[in-house]
Amino acid sequence: MKNLYLPIKVKISKIKKLSKDVKLFRLALPRQSEGWFKKNEQGLIFVPGQFILVSLFGYGEAPFGAASSPYQDSYIDVVVRRVGALTKALHRLKQGDEVFMRGPYGNGFPLKFIEGKDMVLVTGGCGIPPISALIEYVLANRPQFGRVYLIYGARAPADLLMKDKLKEWRKKIKVLLTVDNPTKDWSGRVGMVSELINDIEINAKNAVAAMCGPGPMMDALEKILRPLGISDRRIFVSMERKMQCGIGKCQHCAVGDKYVCQDGPVFHFDQIDKSWD
Amino acid sequence: MALVVDEKQIKDWLVQLKEKFVVIDTRKAILPAKQYFLPPRQDIFNFDKENGHLTSSDYRKKLLVFGLNLIDLEAMTQLDEIMKKPQPDFFYWQKRDKATLVGLTNESVKVAPGGDIILEKINPRQYQVLVLTDKGAKISKNKFFKDIAKPQIKKYLIKPNHGRKMLLDSELLADAVDWSVNHKIWDELAEKCLGCGICAYICPLCHCFSIKDRVSLNGNECVRCRQWDACTLPGFAKIAGGHNFHPSIKERYYNWFYHKFVRAYKEYGKSQCVACGRCKKYCPAGIDIMEVLSEIVEDYKKFKK
Repeated sequence: MKNLYLPIKVKISKIKKLSKDVKLFRLALPRQSEGWFKKNEQGLIFVPGQFILVSLFGYGEAPFGAASSPYQDSYIDVVVRRVGALTKALHRLKQGDEVFMRGPYGNGFPLKFIEGKDMVLVTGGCGIPPISALIEYVLANRPQFGRVYLIYGARAPADLLMKDKLKEWRKKIKVLLTVDNPTKDWSGRVGMVSELINDIEINAKNAVAAMCGPGPMMDALEKILRPLGISDRRIFVSMERKMQCGIGKCQHCAVGDKYVCQDGPVFHFDQIDKSWD
Repeated sequence: MALVVDEKQIKDWLVQLKEKFVVIDTRKAILPAKQYFLPPRQDIFNFDKENGHLTSSDYRKKLLVFGLNLIDLEAMTQLDEIMKKPQPDFFYWQKRDKATLVGLTNESVKVAPGGDIILEKINPRQYQVLVLTDKGAKISKNKFFKDIAKPQIKKYLIKPNHGRKMLLDSELLADAVDWSVNHKIWDELAEKCLGCGICAYICPLCHCFSIKDRVSLNGNECVRCRQWDACTLPGFAKIAGGHNFHPSIKERYYNWFYHKFVRAYKEYGKSQCVACGRCKKYCPAGIDIMEVLSEIVEDYKKFKK
Protein backbone atom coordinates (compact mmCIF):
# COMPACT_ATOMS: atom_id res chain seq x y z
CA MET A 1 0.00 0.00 0.00
CA LYS A 2 1.29 3.41 -0.93
CA ASN A 3 2.08 5.68 1.99
CA LEU A 4 0.62 8.98 0.86
CA TYR A 5 1.96 10.80 3.90
CA LEU A 6 5.56 9.95 3.05
CA PRO A 7 7.32 13.07 1.74
CA ILE A 8 10.25 13.04 -0.67
CA LYS A 9 13.49 14.87 -0.09
CA VAL A 10 14.13 17.89 -2.32
CA LYS A 11 17.03 20.31 -2.55
CA ILE A 12 16.67 24.07 -2.63
CA SER A 13 18.45 24.90 -5.86
CA LYS A 14 17.72 28.61 -5.77
CA ILE A 15 16.38 31.22 -3.37
CA LYS A 16 15.22 34.63 -4.47
CA LYS A 17 14.01 37.44 -2.27
CA LEU A 18 10.82 38.84 -3.79
CA SER A 19 9.89 41.41 -1.14
CA LYS A 20 10.75 42.21 2.45
CA ASP A 21 8.97 39.12 3.76
CA VAL A 22 8.56 36.92 0.69
CA LYS A 23 11.07 34.53 -0.85
CA LEU A 24 10.89 32.19 -3.79
CA PHE A 25 12.30 28.69 -3.26
CA ARG A 26 13.19 26.48 -6.18
CA LEU A 27 12.82 22.81 -5.21
CA ALA A 28 14.68 20.19 -7.22
CA LEU A 29 15.29 16.49 -6.71
CA PRO A 30 18.50 16.18 -4.71
CA ARG A 31 20.54 14.16 -7.22
CA GLN A 32 20.14 14.26 -10.93
CA SER A 33 20.45 10.47 -10.99
CA GLU A 34 17.04 10.36 -9.36
CA GLY A 35 15.57 11.90 -12.49
CA TRP A 36 13.15 14.74 -12.88
CA PHE A 37 9.66 15.20 -11.50
CA LYS A 38 7.23 12.83 -13.16
CA LYS A 39 5.21 14.16 -16.09
CA ASN A 40 1.58 13.26 -16.74
CA GLU A 41 0.29 12.27 -20.17
CA GLN A 42 0.01 15.96 -21.13
CA GLY A 43 3.64 16.50 -20.23
CA LEU A 44 2.89 18.44 -17.06
CA ILE A 45 4.41 17.73 -13.64
CA PHE A 46 1.38 19.35 -12.02
CA VAL A 47 -1.80 21.07 -13.12
CA PRO A 48 -1.62 24.84 -12.59
CA GLY A 49 -3.60 25.55 -9.42
CA GLN A 50 -2.47 22.36 -7.70
CA PHE A 51 -0.46 22.68 -4.50
CA ILE A 52 2.32 20.79 -2.82
CA LEU A 53 2.95 20.28 0.90
CA VAL A 54 6.41 21.48 1.83
CA SER A 55 7.85 20.41 5.15
CA LEU A 56 10.83 20.90 7.35
CA PHE A 57 11.15 18.31 10.08
CA GLY A 58 10.76 19.93 13.45
CA TYR A 59 8.63 22.75 12.07
CA GLY A 60 5.85 20.95 10.25
CA GLU A 61 4.21 20.89 6.89
CA ALA A 62 2.13 23.45 4.95
CA PRO A 63 0.52 23.81 1.52
CA PHE A 64 2.00 26.06 -1.17
CA GLY A 65 0.73 26.67 -4.68
CA ALA A 66 3.23 25.58 -7.32
CA ALA A 67 4.35 28.73 -9.16
CA SER A 68 6.71 27.58 -11.91
CA SER A 69 5.89 26.33 -15.38
CA PRO A 70 4.17 22.95 -15.19
CA TYR A 71 6.22 21.85 -18.21
CA GLN A 72 9.45 22.45 -16.31
CA ASP A 73 10.22 19.02 -14.88
CA SER A 74 13.53 19.79 -13.20
CA TYR A 75 12.12 21.97 -10.42
CA ILE A 76 9.03 23.40 -8.71
CA ASP A 77 9.00 26.97 -7.46
CA VAL A 78 7.10 27.94 -4.33
CA VAL A 79 6.59 31.44 -3.00
CA VAL A 80 6.77 31.70 0.77
CA ARG A 81 5.71 34.61 2.92
CA ARG A 82 7.22 34.68 6.41
CA VAL A 83 4.18 34.39 8.69
CA GLY A 84 4.46 31.36 10.98
CA ALA A 85 6.92 28.90 12.50
CA LEU A 86 7.48 26.85 9.35
CA THR A 87 7.81 29.78 6.98
CA LYS A 88 10.20 31.55 9.36
CA ALA A 89 12.35 28.43 9.43
CA LEU A 90 12.21 28.14 5.64
CA HIS A 91 13.36 31.73 5.30
CA ARG A 92 16.50 30.90 7.30
CA LEU A 93 17.54 28.17 4.84
CA LYS A 94 20.22 28.54 2.20
CA GLN A 95 20.68 27.30 -1.31
CA GLY A 96 21.63 23.63 -1.23
CA ASP A 97 19.68 22.89 1.96
CA GLU A 98 17.20 20.05 1.90
CA VAL A 99 13.50 20.09 2.68
CA PHE A 100 10.69 17.61 2.09
CA MET A 101 7.63 17.76 -0.10
CA ARG A 102 4.65 15.66 -1.13
CA GLY A 103 2.04 16.20 -3.79
CA PRO A 104 0.97 17.70 -6.11
CA TYR A 105 -2.54 17.63 -4.67
CA GLY A 106 -5.91 19.08 -5.56
CA ASN A 107 -7.63 19.61 -8.88
CA GLY A 108 -6.00 22.65 -10.49
CA PHE A 109 -7.57 24.90 -13.10
CA PRO A 110 -9.77 23.22 -15.75
CA LEU A 111 -7.27 23.30 -18.60
CA LYS A 112 -9.54 21.70 -21.18
CA PHE A 113 -12.42 24.05 -20.43
CA ILE A 114 -10.41 27.27 -20.66
CA GLU A 115 -8.94 26.38 -24.04
CA GLY A 116 -9.87 28.75 -26.84
CA LYS A 117 -11.23 31.40 -24.48
CA ASP A 118 -10.39 34.94 -23.49
CA MET A 119 -9.07 35.11 -19.95
CA VAL A 120 -9.04 37.59 -17.12
CA LEU A 121 -6.72 36.59 -14.31
CA VAL A 122 -7.03 38.44 -11.04
CA THR A 123 -4.76 38.14 -8.07
CA GLY A 124 -3.43 40.08 -5.14
CA GLY A 125 -0.32 40.02 -2.96
CA CYS A 126 0.75 36.47 -2.18
CA GLY A 127 -1.97 34.93 -4.37
CA ILE A 128 0.25 35.05 -7.44
CA PRO A 129 1.80 31.50 -7.44
CA PRO A 130 -1.04 29.43 -8.94
CA ILE A 131 -1.86 32.25 -11.36
CA SER A 132 1.80 32.37 -12.32
CA ALA A 133 1.79 28.65 -13.15
CA LEU A 134 -1.38 29.15 -15.17
CA ILE A 135 0.18 32.01 -17.13
CA GLU A 136 3.24 29.87 -17.86
CA TYR A 137 0.90 27.19 -19.16
CA VAL A 138 -1.00 29.70 -21.31
CA LEU A 139 2.22 31.13 -22.72
CA ALA A 140 3.44 27.66 -23.67
CA ASN A 141 0.18 27.17 -25.57
CA ARG A 142 -0.39 30.79 -26.58
CA PRO A 143 -2.20 30.17 -29.91
CA GLN A 144 -4.86 28.15 -28.11
CA PHE A 145 -5.98 31.14 -26.06
CA GLY A 146 -7.67 34.41 -26.91
CA ARG A 147 -6.94 37.71 -25.24
CA VAL A 148 -5.38 37.27 -21.80
CA TYR A 149 -5.29 39.88 -19.06
CA LEU A 150 -3.61 39.79 -15.68
CA ILE A 151 -4.82 42.18 -13.01
CA TYR A 152 -2.40 42.08 -10.13
CA GLY A 153 -2.87 44.16 -7.02
CA ALA A 154 -0.79 44.74 -3.90
CA ARG A 155 -0.65 47.08 -0.96
CA ALA A 156 2.38 48.98 -2.28
CA PRO A 157 4.65 48.69 -5.34
CA ALA A 158 7.28 46.97 -3.19
CA ASP A 159 4.78 44.20 -2.40
CA LEU A 160 4.29 43.21 -6.04
CA LEU A 161 6.05 39.88 -6.45
CA MET A 162 7.77 38.17 -9.38
CA LYS A 163 8.62 41.44 -11.12
CA ASP A 164 11.02 39.82 -13.58
CA LYS A 165 8.27 37.41 -14.62
CA LEU A 166 5.82 40.29 -15.05
CA LYS A 167 8.25 41.85 -17.50
CA GLU A 168 8.40 38.65 -19.52
CA TRP A 169 4.64 38.10 -19.46
CA ARG A 170 3.95 41.66 -20.68
CA LYS A 171 5.33 40.62 -24.05
CA LYS A 172 2.51 38.15 -24.60
CA ILE A 173 -0.39 39.10 -22.35
CA LYS A 174 -1.71 42.38 -21.02
CA VAL A 175 -0.58 43.04 -17.45
CA LEU A 176 -2.47 45.58 -15.36
CA LEU A 177 -0.91 46.46 -12.02
CA THR A 178 -2.63 48.25 -9.20
CA VAL A 179 -1.60 49.19 -5.66
CA ASP A 180 -3.41 50.64 -2.66
CA ASN A 181 -0.57 52.89 -1.49
CA PRO A 182 1.30 54.24 -4.52
CA THR A 183 4.78 55.70 -4.38
CA LYS A 184 5.65 58.91 -6.28
CA ASP A 185 7.01 57.08 -9.29
CA TRP A 186 4.02 54.69 -9.56
CA SER A 187 2.54 54.65 -13.03
CA GLY A 188 -0.08 51.88 -12.60
CA ARG A 189 -3.56 52.04 -11.16
CA VAL A 190 -4.56 52.73 -7.57
CA GLY A 191 -6.96 50.32 -5.86
CA MET A 192 -9.10 47.55 -7.31
CA VAL A 193 -11.18 50.07 -9.25
CA SER A 194 -13.90 49.69 -11.82
CA GLU A 195 -11.96 51.87 -14.30
CA LEU A 196 -9.74 48.84 -14.92
CA ILE A 197 -12.58 47.62 -17.11
CA ASN A 198 -11.70 50.24 -19.70
CA ASP A 199 -8.40 48.46 -20.34
CA ILE A 200 -10.05 45.11 -20.91
CA GLU A 201 -11.53 43.98 -24.18
CA ILE A 202 -12.95 40.50 -24.14
CA ASN A 203 -15.76 38.54 -25.65
CA ALA A 204 -17.67 37.91 -22.42
CA LYS A 205 -19.58 35.01 -23.92
CA ASN A 206 -16.37 33.18 -24.56
CA ALA A 207 -14.32 34.25 -21.56
CA VAL A 208 -13.23 32.80 -18.25
CA ALA A 209 -11.70 34.34 -15.17
CA ALA A 210 -9.32 32.88 -12.62
CA MET A 211 -8.72 34.37 -9.21
CA CYS A 212 -6.49 33.72 -6.26
CA GLY A 213 -5.98 35.93 -3.30
CA PRO A 214 -7.45 37.47 -0.19
CA GLY A 215 -10.41 39.79 0.46
CA PRO A 216 -9.91 42.48 -2.25
CA MET A 217 -10.77 39.79 -4.79
CA MET A 218 -14.41 40.36 -3.83
CA ASP A 219 -13.97 43.93 -5.09
CA ALA A 220 -12.55 42.64 -8.33
CA LEU A 221 -15.50 40.31 -8.71
CA GLU A 222 -18.11 43.00 -8.18
CA LYS A 223 -16.39 45.91 -9.91
CA ILE A 224 -14.68 44.13 -12.77
CA LEU A 225 -15.53 40.52 -13.56
CA ARG A 226 -19.31 40.64 -13.21
CA PRO A 227 -19.63 44.02 -15.01
CA LEU A 228 -17.52 42.56 -17.82
CA GLY A 229 -20.28 39.98 -18.18
CA ILE A 230 -18.39 36.87 -17.05
CA SER A 231 -20.80 34.50 -15.29
CA ASP A 232 -20.00 33.25 -11.77
CA ARG A 233 -19.86 29.73 -13.15
CA ARG A 234 -16.92 30.71 -15.32
CA ILE A 235 -15.01 32.45 -12.60
CA PHE A 236 -12.55 29.99 -11.11
CA VAL A 237 -11.21 30.78 -7.69
CA SER A 238 -8.41 29.13 -5.80
CA MET A 239 -9.22 28.86 -2.10
CA GLU A 240 -7.01 28.80 0.94
CA ARG A 241 -7.71 26.77 4.06
CA LYS A 242 -5.85 25.12 6.89
CA MET A 243 -4.63 21.76 5.67
CA GLN A 244 -2.96 18.82 7.34
CA CYS A 245 -3.34 15.67 5.28
CA GLY A 246 -3.84 17.05 1.76
CA ILE A 247 -5.83 13.98 0.75
CA GLY A 248 -9.38 14.53 2.01
CA LYS A 249 -9.16 12.83 5.39
CA CYS A 250 -8.27 15.19 8.21
CA GLN A 251 -11.29 17.54 7.89
CA HIS A 252 -9.40 20.80 8.45
CA CYS A 253 -10.08 22.28 5.02
CA ALA A 254 -13.78 21.38 4.79
CA VAL A 255 -16.01 24.09 3.32
CA GLY A 256 -19.63 23.03 3.33
CA ASP A 257 -19.75 19.71 1.53
CA LYS A 258 -16.38 20.20 -0.16
CA TYR A 259 -12.78 19.56 0.78
CA VAL A 260 -10.50 22.31 -0.47
CA CYS A 261 -7.57 19.88 -0.69
CA GLN A 262 -9.38 17.41 -2.86
CA ASP A 263 -12.45 18.95 -4.52
CA GLY A 264 -10.46 22.20 -4.85
CA PRO A 265 -8.46 24.27 -4.31
CA VAL A 266 -9.99 25.59 -7.55
CA PHE A 267 -13.76 26.04 -7.50
CA HIS A 268 -16.37 27.57 -9.74
CA PHE A 269 -17.26 30.77 -7.92
CA ASP A 270 -20.95 29.85 -7.69
CA GLN A 271 -19.98 26.61 -5.92
CA ILE A 272 -18.46 28.37 -2.93
CA ASP A 273 -20.10 31.78 -3.12
CA LYS A 274 -21.25 31.82 0.51
CA SER A 275 -18.03 30.55 2.00
CA TRP A 276 -15.64 32.82 0.14
CA ASP A 277 -13.27 34.60 2.53
CA MET B 1 -25.88 -27.33 12.45
CA ALA B 2 -24.70 -24.34 14.39
CA LEU B 3 -21.35 -23.41 15.83
CA VAL B 4 -21.86 -22.73 19.50
CA VAL B 5 -19.73 -21.77 22.49
CA ASP B 6 -20.62 -21.99 26.15
CA GLU B 7 -20.58 -18.60 27.87
CA LYS B 8 -18.28 -20.01 30.56
CA GLN B 9 -15.71 -21.05 27.98
CA ILE B 10 -15.32 -17.70 26.24
CA LYS B 11 -12.71 -16.69 28.80
CA ASP B 12 -10.68 -19.84 28.19
CA TRP B 13 -10.89 -19.23 24.46
CA LEU B 14 -9.50 -15.73 24.94
CA VAL B 15 -6.65 -17.13 27.03
CA GLN B 16 -5.82 -19.52 24.22
CA LEU B 17 -5.98 -16.72 21.64
CA LYS B 18 -3.34 -14.84 23.60
CA GLU B 19 -0.77 -17.32 22.31
CA LYS B 20 -1.15 -15.86 18.83
CA PHE B 21 -2.66 -12.41 19.29
CA VAL B 22 -2.45 -9.33 21.38
CA VAL B 23 -5.95 -9.63 22.79
CA ILE B 24 -7.79 -6.49 23.83
CA ASP B 25 -11.04 -6.80 25.69
CA THR B 26 -12.97 -3.63 24.85
CA ARG B 27 -16.07 -4.34 26.87
CA LYS B 28 -15.17 -1.84 29.57
CA ALA B 29 -13.18 0.58 27.40
CA ILE B 30 -14.27 4.22 27.43
CA LEU B 31 -12.74 5.15 24.08
CA PRO B 32 -14.17 3.50 20.97
CA ALA B 33 -12.32 0.85 18.95
CA LYS B 34 -10.97 3.44 16.50
CA GLN B 35 -8.25 4.04 19.11
CA TYR B 36 -6.46 0.84 18.10
CA PHE B 37 -6.16 1.80 14.44
CA LEU B 38 -6.20 5.58 14.58
CA PRO B 39 -4.52 6.08 17.96
CA PRO B 40 -4.90 9.32 19.94
CA ARG B 41 -1.25 10.00 19.16
CA GLN B 42 0.99 8.06 16.84
CA ASP B 43 4.54 8.73 15.72
CA ILE B 44 4.44 8.24 11.97
CA PHE B 45 7.89 9.41 10.86
CA ASN B 46 11.30 9.70 12.45
CA PHE B 47 13.83 12.06 10.96
CA ASP B 48 17.46 11.94 11.99
CA LYS B 49 18.99 15.36 11.39
CA GLU B 50 22.54 14.03 11.74
CA ASN B 51 22.39 11.64 8.80
CA GLY B 52 19.26 12.94 7.05
CA HIS B 53 17.49 9.58 7.24
CA LEU B 54 13.72 9.46 7.24
CA THR B 55 12.05 6.34 8.56
CA SER B 56 8.41 5.48 8.74
CA SER B 57 6.81 3.66 11.64
CA ASP B 58 6.47 -0.08 11.28
CA TYR B 59 3.78 -2.16 12.89
CA ARG B 60 3.86 -5.90 13.38
CA LYS B 61 1.44 -6.66 16.20
CA LYS B 62 -1.53 -8.86 15.46
CA LEU B 63 -4.41 -7.45 17.44
CA LEU B 64 -7.58 -9.24 18.36
CA VAL B 65 -10.20 -6.81 19.52
CA PHE B 66 -12.81 -8.61 21.56
CA GLY B 67 -16.20 -7.62 22.85
CA LEU B 68 -17.49 -5.11 20.35
CA ASN B 69 -21.25 -4.74 20.43
CA LEU B 70 -23.32 -4.53 17.25
CA ILE B 71 -23.27 -0.74 17.18
CA ASP B 72 -19.51 -0.61 17.57
CA LEU B 73 -19.10 -3.21 14.83
CA GLU B 74 -21.22 -1.09 12.54
CA ALA B 75 -19.05 1.91 13.39
CA MET B 76 -15.90 -0.06 12.53
CA THR B 77 -17.35 -1.04 9.16
CA GLN B 78 -18.08 2.62 8.45
CA LEU B 79 -14.67 3.78 9.65
CA ASP B 80 -13.01 1.18 7.39
CA GLU B 81 -14.97 2.60 4.49
CA ILE B 82 -13.91 6.15 5.36
CA MET B 83 -10.28 5.12 5.63
CA LYS B 84 -10.41 3.43 2.24
CA LYS B 85 -11.70 6.38 0.25
CA PRO B 86 -10.52 7.99 -1.93
CA GLN B 87 -7.20 6.29 -1.28
CA PRO B 88 -6.33 4.00 1.62
CA ASP B 89 -4.90 5.64 4.71
CA PHE B 90 -1.53 3.93 5.17
CA PHE B 91 -1.17 4.20 8.92
CA TYR B 92 -4.71 3.08 9.63
CA TRP B 93 -4.52 -0.01 7.40
CA GLN B 94 -1.05 -0.84 8.65
CA LYS B 95 -2.74 -1.76 11.92
CA ARG B 96 -6.23 -2.62 10.77
CA ASP B 97 -5.16 -5.20 8.18
CA LYS B 98 -3.52 -7.27 10.90
CA ALA B 99 -6.42 -7.06 13.32
CA THR B 100 -9.30 -9.44 13.96
CA LEU B 101 -12.56 -8.08 15.33
CA VAL B 102 -14.72 -10.24 17.57
CA GLY B 103 -18.21 -9.03 18.34
CA LEU B 104 -20.16 -10.05 21.40
CA THR B 105 -23.85 -9.38 21.72
CA ASN B 106 -26.71 -10.28 23.99
CA GLU B 107 -29.07 -9.24 21.24
CA SER B 108 -30.16 -11.47 18.35
CA VAL B 109 -28.39 -10.59 15.14
CA LYS B 110 -30.62 -9.72 12.19
CA VAL B 111 -27.95 -8.46 9.83
CA ALA B 112 -24.32 -8.81 10.85
CA PRO B 113 -22.99 -5.24 10.83
CA GLY B 114 -19.29 -6.10 10.62
CA GLY B 115 -16.40 -7.77 12.38
CA ASP B 116 -14.78 -11.14 11.66
CA ILE B 117 -16.72 -13.19 14.18
CA ILE B 118 -19.78 -12.38 16.24
CA LEU B 119 -20.75 -14.29 19.34
CA GLU B 120 -24.53 -14.02 19.49
CA LYS B 121 -26.46 -14.95 22.59
CA ILE B 122 -28.94 -17.74 21.86
CA ASN B 123 -29.88 -18.92 25.33
CA PRO B 124 -28.89 -18.17 28.93
CA ARG B 125 -25.80 -20.40 28.71
CA GLN B 126 -24.67 -20.30 25.11
CA TYR B 127 -23.57 -18.08 22.26
CA GLN B 128 -23.78 -18.89 18.60
CA VAL B 129 -20.58 -18.22 16.65
CA LEU B 130 -21.22 -16.28 13.45
CA VAL B 131 -18.18 -16.57 11.22
CA LEU B 132 -18.12 -13.66 8.78
CA THR B 133 -14.68 -13.54 7.18
CA ASP B 134 -11.61 -15.67 6.46
CA LYS B 135 -9.92 -14.10 9.45
CA GLY B 136 -12.90 -15.21 11.51
CA ALA B 137 -12.76 -18.73 10.08
CA LYS B 138 -9.11 -19.02 11.13
CA ILE B 139 -9.90 -18.56 14.79
CA SER B 140 -13.13 -20.53 14.77
CA LYS B 141 -11.39 -23.90 14.74
CA ASN B 142 -10.73 -24.58 18.40
CA LYS B 143 -11.79 -26.94 21.16
CA PHE B 144 -14.27 -24.47 22.66
CA PHE B 145 -16.49 -23.96 19.61
CA LYS B 146 -18.72 -26.95 18.95
CA ASP B 147 -21.00 -27.86 16.09
CA ILE B 148 -24.38 -28.68 17.54
CA ALA B 149 -27.25 -30.09 15.51
CA LYS B 150 -30.16 -28.46 17.26
CA PRO B 151 -29.12 -25.79 19.74
CA GLN B 152 -31.76 -24.08 21.82
CA ILE B 153 -32.25 -20.69 20.13
CA LYS B 154 -34.10 -17.92 21.92
CA LYS B 155 -34.72 -14.53 20.36
CA TYR B 156 -33.35 -11.56 22.27
CA LEU B 157 -34.85 -8.52 20.66
CA ILE B 158 -34.00 -5.07 21.85
CA LYS B 159 -36.13 -2.16 20.72
CA PRO B 160 -34.04 0.40 18.83
CA ASN B 161 -33.66 3.68 20.69
CA HIS B 162 -34.93 6.96 19.28
CA GLY B 163 -31.54 7.79 17.76
CA ARG B 164 -31.32 4.48 15.92
CA LYS B 165 -34.77 5.08 14.50
CA MET B 166 -33.86 8.56 13.30
CA LEU B 167 -30.75 7.22 11.57
CA LEU B 168 -32.91 5.03 9.37
CA ASP B 169 -33.70 8.11 7.31
CA SER B 170 -30.32 9.74 6.78
CA GLU B 171 -31.63 11.71 3.84
CA LEU B 172 -34.07 13.50 6.12
CA LEU B 173 -31.31 14.16 8.65
CA ALA B 174 -29.09 15.61 5.91
CA ASP B 175 -31.85 17.88 4.61
CA ALA B 176 -32.84 19.00 8.11
CA VAL B 177 -29.31 19.81 9.30
CA ASP B 178 -28.51 21.58 6.02
CA TRP B 179 -31.70 23.63 6.38
CA SER B 180 -31.05 24.41 10.06
CA VAL B 181 -28.03 26.67 9.54
CA ASN B 182 -29.95 29.74 10.76
CA HIS B 183 -31.88 27.88 13.46
CA LYS B 184 -31.75 29.44 16.92
CA ILE B 185 -30.59 26.15 18.37
CA TRP B 186 -27.03 26.83 17.22
CA ASP B 187 -26.94 30.02 19.28
CA GLU B 188 -28.21 28.13 22.30
CA LEU B 189 -25.65 25.39 21.81
CA ALA B 190 -22.87 27.93 21.36
CA GLU B 191 -23.74 29.18 24.86
CA LYS B 192 -23.67 25.68 26.30
CA CYS B 193 -20.79 24.00 24.46
CA LEU B 194 -17.38 24.28 26.14
CA GLY B 195 -15.52 23.58 22.90
CA CYS B 196 -13.54 20.84 24.63
CA GLY B 197 -13.61 18.31 21.80
CA ILE B 198 -14.60 15.33 23.96
CA CYS B 199 -17.58 14.51 21.72
CA ALA B 200 -15.23 14.03 18.79
CA TYR B 201 -12.67 12.01 20.74
CA ILE B 202 -15.29 9.71 22.14
CA CYS B 203 -17.12 9.24 18.83
CA PRO B 204 -16.40 5.90 17.12
CA LEU B 205 -16.58 7.62 13.72
CA CYS B 206 -14.97 11.04 14.18
CA HIS B 207 -11.56 10.73 12.60
CA CYS B 208 -10.13 14.19 12.14
CA PHE B 209 -6.48 14.62 12.99
CA SER B 210 -3.52 16.97 12.98
CA ILE B 211 0.04 16.27 11.99
CA LYS B 212 2.59 17.78 14.37
CA ASP B 213 6.37 17.67 14.66
CA ARG B 214 8.15 17.04 17.93
CA VAL B 215 11.86 17.60 18.43
CA SER B 216 14.20 15.93 20.93
CA LEU B 217 15.97 18.18 23.44
CA ASN B 218 19.29 18.04 21.61
CA GLY B 219 17.48 18.91 18.39
CA ASN B 220 18.81 15.93 16.44
CA GLU B 221 15.76 13.77 16.29
CA CYS B 222 12.43 14.89 14.91
CA VAL B 223 9.26 12.91 15.15
CA ARG B 224 6.28 13.66 12.97
CA CYS B 225 3.20 12.53 14.80
CA ARG B 226 -0.41 12.24 13.91
CA GLN B 227 -2.85 12.98 16.68
CA TRP B 228 -6.57 13.30 17.21
CA ASP B 229 -8.01 16.71 16.69
CA ALA B 230 -11.58 17.94 17.10
CA CYS B 231 -13.37 20.34 14.80
CA THR B 232 -14.96 22.09 17.78
CA LEU B 233 -11.57 23.17 19.15
CA PRO B 234 -10.77 26.90 18.65
CA GLY B 235 -7.71 26.49 16.43
CA PHE B 236 -9.08 23.82 14.12
CA ALA B 237 -9.32 26.05 11.05
CA LYS B 238 -6.74 28.65 12.03
CA ILE B 239 -3.83 29.25 9.67
CA ALA B 240 -0.38 30.78 10.12
CA GLY B 241 -0.68 34.52 10.38
CA GLY B 242 -3.70 34.16 12.65
CA HIS B 243 -6.67 34.04 10.30
CA ASN B 244 -9.32 31.65 11.59
CA PHE B 245 -11.86 30.30 9.10
CA HIS B 246 -14.14 29.10 11.94
CA PRO B 247 -13.66 31.70 14.66
CA SER B 248 -16.85 31.11 16.66
CA ILE B 249 -17.95 28.06 18.59
CA LYS B 250 -21.30 28.34 16.85
CA GLU B 251 -19.74 27.81 13.42
CA ARG B 252 -17.55 25.01 14.69
CA TYR B 253 -20.36 23.20 16.42
CA TYR B 254 -22.58 23.49 13.37
CA ASN B 255 -19.72 22.23 11.20
CA TRP B 256 -19.47 19.15 13.43
CA PHE B 257 -23.13 18.37 12.86
CA TYR B 258 -22.87 19.30 9.21
CA HIS B 259 -20.05 16.84 8.71
CA LYS B 260 -21.82 13.97 10.46
CA PHE B 261 -25.19 14.37 8.84
CA VAL B 262 -24.77 16.35 5.61
CA ARG B 263 -21.25 16.03 4.24
CA ALA B 264 -21.05 12.36 5.27
CA TYR B 265 -24.42 11.65 3.67
CA LYS B 266 -23.28 13.19 0.40
CA GLU B 267 -19.95 11.34 0.55
CA TYR B 268 -21.07 7.92 1.77
CA GLY B 269 -24.86 7.87 1.57
CA LYS B 270 -25.28 7.64 5.33
CA SER B 271 -24.88 9.67 8.49
CA GLN B 272 -21.58 9.38 10.31
CA CYS B 273 -23.35 8.43 13.51
CA VAL B 274 -24.41 5.09 14.93
CA ALA B 275 -26.29 6.43 17.97
CA CYS B 276 -23.93 4.76 20.43
CA GLY B 277 -24.71 7.46 22.97
CA ARG B 278 -21.10 8.15 24.00
CA CYS B 279 -21.22 11.86 23.08
CA LYS B 280 -24.16 12.43 25.37
CA LYS B 281 -22.69 10.33 28.15
CA TYR B 282 -19.34 12.14 28.21
CA CYS B 283 -20.30 15.72 27.25
CA PRO B 284 -19.31 17.87 30.25
CA ALA B 285 -21.96 20.41 29.28
CA GLY B 286 -24.70 17.79 29.14
CA ILE B 287 -25.56 18.25 25.48
CA ASP B 288 -27.74 15.47 24.09
CA ILE B 289 -26.95 15.28 20.39
CA MET B 290 -29.95 13.11 19.58
CA GLU B 291 -32.25 15.59 21.28
CA VAL B 292 -30.71 18.41 19.24
CA LEU B 293 -31.16 16.39 16.07
CA SER B 294 -34.71 15.59 17.04
CA GLU B 295 -35.58 19.24 17.54
CA ILE B 296 -34.08 20.22 14.18
CA VAL B 297 -35.92 17.43 12.38
CA GLU B 298 -39.25 18.34 13.98
CA ASP B 299 -38.85 22.01 13.04
CA TYR B 300 -37.78 21.08 9.53
CA LYS B 301 -40.86 18.91 9.10
CA LYS B 302 -43.07 21.80 10.26
CA PHE B 303 -41.29 24.10 7.83
CA LYS B 304 -41.84 21.69 4.95
CA LYS B 305 -45.56 21.36 5.61
